[in-house]
Amino acid sequence: MLSKRSLVGVPLKFHTLALLFFLFLGGQAFAADPAVSDSEEAIAAGKTVFNANCKQCHKLDQKAVGPALRGITDRRSPDWAKSFIKNSQAVIASGDDYANALYAEYNNLMMPSHEFLSDADLDNLLSYIEYGDKVDPAASAAATAGAADGEGAGGGIPTEYLTIIVVVLVIVLLLILIVLGLIISILTKYINKQDLDEEDKEFISQKFQFGKVLKSDAFVIIVTALVVALVAKTAIDGLYSVGVQQGYAPTQPIAYSHALHAGTLEIECQYCHTGVDIGKSANIPSANICMNCHMHVQNVQGQEGVSPEIQKIYDAIDNNQPIEWVRVHNLPDLAYFNHSQHVKVGGIECQTCHGPIEEMEVVYQYSSLTMGWCIDCHRQTEIAAGGNEYYDKLVQLHTDSKDALKVKDIGGLECAKCHY
Amino acid sequence: MKMMNKLGILGIALAGTIFVGCRAGEDNPGLEYAPQMYHSVPYEALSQIKDESQGSWLSNREDEKGEFFNSNVNNPHWMNMREPVEGTVPRNKSGMLPYRLKAFELEQAALVENPLTVDDAIIKEGETLYTQYCSACHGKGGEGDGKVGEIIGGVANLKGGAYINLPEGHIFHVITKGKGRMGAHGSQITPENRWKIVSYVKQVIQKQ
Repeated sequence: MLSKRSLVGVPLKFHTLALLFFLFLGGQAFAADPAVSDSEEAIAAGKTVFNANCKQCHKLDQKAVGPALRGITDRRSPDWAKSFIKNSQAVIASGDDYANALYAEYNNLMMPSHEFLSDADLDNLLSYIEYGDKVDPAASAAATAGAADGEGAGGGIPTEYLTIIVVVLVIVLLLILIVLGLIISILTKYINKQDLDEEDKEFISQKFQFGKVLKSDAFVIIVTALVVALVAKTAIDGLYSVGVQQGYAPTQPIAYSHALHAGTLEIECQYCHTGVDIGKSANIPSANICMNCHMHVQNVQGQEGVSPEIQKIYDAIDNNQPIEWVRVHNLPDLAYFNHSQHVKVGGIECQTCHGPIEEMEVVYQYSSLTMGWCIDCHRQTEIAAGGNEYYDKLVQLHTDSKDALKVKDIGGLECAKCHY
Repeated sequence: MKMMNKLGILGIALAGTIFVGCRAGEDNPGLEYAPQMYHSVPYEALSQIKDESQGSWLSNREDEKGEFFNSNVNNPHWMNMREPVEGTVPRNKSGMLPYRLKAFELEQAALVENPLTVDDAIIKEGETLYTQYCSACHGKGGEGDGKVGEIIGGVANLKGGAYINLPEGHIFHVITKGKGRMGAHGSQITPENRWKIVSYVKQVIQKQ
């Protein structure tokens, strides 16, 4: 009986404490102007207005691009809030101290005017700002803890576990070997006790002669053949790799991660490689393109301070010094290649040649860029001639025959197309 | 005879290890076959080599520099690319003149009209361009919910009341010069393509 009571008692107490704590916090955080309605409908309608117009820059309880909004009708009057939302610049120009202080605090960042919002919209909006989506501290803490747990589990098996598994396996195998050895010795002893004829005895007591095996013709031939085959294979592979830079992954001056930018953040390749549709080269972005985002993003994953890698962009701009990226794909000068011809006209995806760029921390040359590799693709790729009347008759001829119109049929194998 | 055999095998093994060294990986670009045909003699825009002695072992250049040296010493930082001469204007097919309005001249910009006659093809191209240059922040549907936008914050919801009625010239100006937290994208996107994006935003995303 006693144990039961205590079991019930503990969570109850904790619950009450949490509730009290929350009430205290809630009461402390703000006291909205009584003119602001707290009806459910008003809050719901206000949320729609907020999501469509405000949430890009404002959060209710946290500073974002603009200030946290909850409690504004307490800090100022509802009328002040309405006029500021409608046209903040007019309020600032009127010489309002609070508005001017805010404007200065947020680096003179102009809030767009919202004259199109009706008075009803604004009332609902204020209701949502004051009473909507209150954060329960206990719930949010649980949510963060849950998220952290999820992250830990998502990482797969850590390498240490793998090593431990391998070690355990080796130990088990060794044990089995020892046990087998023991079994053999016991069996031999047992058989020796029986009456056996000479032949059998000789067979049982024979020793494994390592030296004899080593000198046997078969062994020598097999080993020589293996060695010769292995050496020949490495030599031939090595020879074929001369002039082929597949796998080249030079260290870059800034540890830029394509996996983060193109993979996680889903920035399109063309955002930075602007030349890919219009020119021979895809182009390496200049620092001003980096700055479109990095004037705001100064560190990875929301960490405080400036990341040393991102600092390098700022230094380059401050000193007017170009960032000297190391070229990864060095197509020999004896061959001509044009990006726009392949990407814009041919409609080829970047990944077809450059591989899984969106997964690469450090970019490496994925394809071999050999002539055989080029020709192979030219032999297989069909021409997408849609919208281009020039090829209409050729396409018709090829549809009548068995083979579709491919790159090789319009000169994709001509020497002088690439070598001149 | 046996000795010869052994030497032969050793030789092959040695050759094998050397060839393995030719393979590219990490910072090693690998061995080049006929390097004089690999390296460009004219200035190469994206493979600048500043080391004057690189390739001196096979060089027969008259200036006695290395065969692979490829930098224009007359340019700042020895860069191979040059900026256009100040005051010059690029000629283009569409005959568009450079955009002259300054970043703050939003009111005049709003009066500029879209020079393109908008058809389906332009809308389609606009959609591709919007995906390439805008969607990372503004999101596929223009609601300011792109993955980068969430990090940067303060990205405009193009369907929001403050933006939905903006004139085409205003949108073009903001893409070109930037506004608020948005950077200038004039260097990345040609004027014609900017108008295509504007057409797509107006006709599809902000369609009312």
